[in-house]
Amino acid sequence: MTRFGDHLATGVLILLLLAAWEVAGQLKLVADGTLPPLSAILLRLAAEWREYWPHVAATLYTASLGFLIGNAVALAAAVSFCLWPVAERVFRGVNIAAFTVPPIALAPVLVIALDGETARITLAALLVYFPTMTAALAGLRSADPRAVDLIRAYGGGPLRTLWLLRLRAALPAILSGFQVAAPAAVLGAVLAEFGSGARWGLGTFLLGSLGRAEPDRLWGIGLTATAIAGLGYALSATLAARTTSLNRAVNIGITGPEPETANEAPLRRALLLAAAILMPLLIWQAMLFWADLSPIIAKTPMGVIDYLITGKTAASAQTRLLAALAETVPITIAGMLLGLGFAFALALLSFAAPLLMRALLPFALVTQTMPLVALTPLAVLILGRGITVTLVITISVTFFAAFVVLAQGFAMIPKAAFDLVDAYGASTLRKVRLIAIPASRQWLFVAARLALPKALLGVMIAEWLATGKGLGNLLNQSRGYLDYGMIWTVAVVSILLSVLLYQLTPVLEWVGRSDRRVR
Amino acid sequence: MQGLPLQFTNVSKAFSIKGKALPVIDNLSLDCPAGSFTALLGPSGCGKSTLLRLALALESEDSGSLRIGGDSPRSICRSGAVGVAFQDAALLPWRSVEENIRLPFEVLGRKRPDPEKINGLIELVGLKGFEKARPGELSGGMRQRVAIARSLATEPRVLLMDEPFGALDLILRRQMNLELQRIWSAKRPTTLLITHGIDEAVYLADRVIVLSPRPARVLADIPVSFSRPRGAELLRDPAFHHVCDRIAALLDPETSAASAAAETAALDAAPVAAPAKAGTTA
Repeated sequence: MTRFGDHLATGVLILLLLAAWEVAGQLKLVADGTLPPLSAILLRLAAEWREYWPHVAATLYTASLGFLIGNAVALAAAVSFCLWPVAERVFRGVNIAAFTVPPIALAPVLVIALDGETARITLAALLVYFPTMTAALAGLRSADPRAVDLIRAYGGGPLRTLWLLRLRAALPAILSGFQVAAPAAVLGAVLAEFGSGARWGLGTFLLGSLGRAEPDRLWGIGLTATAIAGLGYALSATLAARTTSLNRAVNIGITGPEPETANEAPLRRALLLAAAILMPLLIWQAMLFWADLSPIIAKTPMGVIDYLITGKTAASAQTRLLAALAETVPITIAGMLLGLGFAFALALLSFAAPLLMRALLPFALVTQTMPLVALTPLAVLILGRGITVTLVITISVTFFAAFVVLAQGFAMIPKAAFDLVDAYGASTLRKVRLIAIPASRQWLFVAARLALPKALLGVMIAEWLATGKGLGNLLNQSRGYLDYGMIWTVAVVSILLSVLLYQLTPVLEWVGRSDRRVR
Repeated sequence: MQGLPLQFTNVSKAFSIKGKALPVIDNLSLDCPAGSFTALLGPSGCGKSTLLRLALALESEDSGSLRIGGDSPRSICRSGAVGVAFQDAALLPWRSVEENIRLPFEVLGRKRPDPEKINGLIELVGLKGFEKARPGELSGGMRQRVAIARSLATEPRVLLMDEPFGALDLILRRQMNLELQRIWSAKRPTTLLITHGIDEAVYLADRVIVLSPRPARVLADIPVSFSRPRGAELLRDPAFHHVCDRIAALLDPETSAASAAAETAALDAAPVAAPAKAGTTA
């Protein structure tokens, strides 16, 4: 089919899906009108345009600055980690913490420590940092090792290799990171507005509209946020498509070896691990020292230990915390597996049926950028307040990042690999099994790393806004009671829990690696 | 510009795989005089490529020493005096043919070469008209020719090649062999060529080194003294085939030990008879 034909078919499919939405809305098919017809949402949006404008401007400003700052830091970090692998290991704890900290838990803490606008930009930047950093680092390391040899053979050092080869080779990966980061920046901005008492911003607007039972207004705000995020996504995706076609052409991507750790002295390994664990605590302590706040509202690591273990609040705090964890942990694990499975299925679909996928992508994007705080009340109306709503929300926060990375991985597989199995008359399914899945293995782990810790965020948002259970609810209550000790404790515990989940990926990776041959 | 001598003296190298030491090169000595053309043959996985990587300072030897023009490989490579072509073209897919050929200059931090010169190299390897093409648009053989042009770009005094013609078809390979001989005769870089083609080795080199299975030792050192320039008619010369057969016997695990013993005895006793005779017939 021609390119034009492709676009046309995609367009027709999208129109059909939109038409189905309109019909479902008009006939109030979904949960008695919680899904309004698209036309009603758009009409309302057009009518209230003037009211939207300052909110859009504020969110756009916060998200853009967060996107720029987060990406700049992420790229600088990825380059440093590539040049000095030890730095990556020292900062591993910081990286994981930066990624796994649930933004809803961090927003109030940031607002305590920084002024409002800085806190919001920081949160947006924080959500941007990790996806770009991991994707960029994987890209920098995936440069063709033979080309690396060639440059070294002419006496080129690490910097010249970086400049002539690695940065350019990493471009598709970096841009796929941006694709994830753009919606994340908007989500961060909206969540921060929601939790920080900002005057303007779509999050604030949403908060003000929540009380009024007007689904079309909520959808309108959600779609506006989606449009902003979608713009950033589309820009990165367009750039990515251009660069990928060039990189793809020649060799199957053989990944450069991960830095060797097998022959390392145990002492050095232990020291690096200790540094990785201490580093986040160090930064935490340093930030509070620098912000110069009252120890009642700003808890240091020792403050949290006092609150949870040694102080007189310990018994009550522990009971509440354990009860919350017992509710949160099982559903987090279930949600994270489902989210990853969904992402993989979607990536396979995008490979086997690209046309259908391109039509579905805008809708997948909606679930990403539609701020979950807006989606959740609507999801509750449709799905009730049971376990289903938690799982659905968890899948919707986990799958997207994983999907983008996996789809990128499939796209990087050279045509020649498929030509070979085509020649043997392989079915699509067989092609997937023989080529696509093994070749995308390295991407699967990147995807798993992005998805797993996000699961906890999804569960906590659902608990906070919908089910009134577990860690999310505990956080919400603590905010209400100004129980600063518990706010900090929940932030710390949720990070630790996410780190634990994150540690599951190296185990998976190790299992997957056992059949790798030695060169 | 004269070639530089290349000397391996008692070089050993082992890799550690899953904690176990795997010796790849065992006390190997090899002397390539300035301007000579040496071919390395050996069973696959014997450590030929490691030898080349040592000479490129991509690996470092565990013991022994390696000198290029009396200097360490690292400093010589940084001076741009060494040209290299790998088995895989290793082109940067986002660069055009001419930009790929220019790459060594950028790595060395030199100013851009004269476009005339790059065009000359492109013409030399028969890719005129493809200057702006990207590697993705070229066939495997064409990419390999770009890699060869790139290896010649800095006018190297030492040329290290790891099966550079492995991906080419026979006719193209012969053509490239002729070209390489011409280039070598004109500039006389000290050349070390790793190959699997016995006939290619004998056709091109002054001497053929046969290596043992891993860990690599020199099994036989066979001088090849057919007069130059060597034309296509040499390929039909019985003397040529005689040398090839002897090498084939060395590489065949069935007959290898006996042949090696005979070879060593012959080397000790007198100048090898066959090439001497060949020298007169060619």
